[in-house]
Amino acid sequence: VAGVIPLLVVVVAAAGLALAGWAGWFVARDRAVATIQLKWGAALEVLLVLQALWAGGLLVMGRGDVSGWLFWGYVVTQLLILPLAGLWATAERTRWSSAVLLVAGLTVAFLEFRLWQIWAWA
Amino acid sequence: MTADETGGAPTIPGTRPTYSGPGRLLVAAYGLLALAATARGVFQLTDHGDEAPLAYALSVLSGLIYGVATFALATDRRRLAWVAVLVEMAGVLVVGAASLAWPQDFPDETVWSHFGQGYGWVPLVLPFLGVWWLVRTRARDGQ
Repeated sequence: VAGVIPLLVVVVAAAGLALAGWAGWFVARDRAVATIQLKWGAALEVLLVLQALWAGGLLVMGRGDVSGWLFWGYVVTQLLILPLAGLWATAERTRWSSAVLLVAGLTVAFLEFRLWQIWAWA
Repeated sequence: MTADETGGAPTIPGTRPTYSGPGRLLVAAYGLLALAATARGVFQLTDHGDEAPLAYALSVLSGLIYGVATFALATDRRRLAWVAVLVEMAGVLVVGAASLAWPQDFPDETVWSHFGQGYGWVPLVLPFLGVWWLVRTRARDGQ
């Protein structure tokens, strides 16, 4: 539909995997989530919001023929993951907070892949 | 940090809160599955519910039970956590077996069909991890 979405998909998925890898390294080193990781997570969340706005704009303009409920279900779920994981991870600063961030990063990357599939197959 | 500071239910003396340590990862995994199963089931029911009503209703039901388990484990409500985790275990085993025995009744995937294969077997593993964690955090002299 548009040239920007595939690039955004790659960037978001890579960022999610990078965040997961970073958190995984912290799990291995028995370290709790660091503030700098949360800031990068917030930056990724900004990207996700921009993506949602971009996709929403395309759909409003009638470009892109995706099943609305399915697409927005994934978009909203993806937007929820990082804030919820961040809150949950910081309530107890142990290595397990890093494990939570690891799962959140993987999930964001996976949902991005699914979003791309849903968009491309429409 | 004590349980009082985190705002959970009053902790039973001599037990470790279910939301502490590895429990945090377990709660996160349950929450994720609750979100995934509920969202998927609601979408399937509203979008094409007549195709496989049993499978979709089971998806929503399993999502709600994962939600209860998430809430119970996150707030150290042990009795409720036991119920939810055991219901999940029964669900994934019964529905998993039924989906193999009578595939015509399951034209579309549920979280529990084929023992959670579509979700990387996570639905099969989680209840056993849940039971292990509830036993592990129990007081040594019983409660």
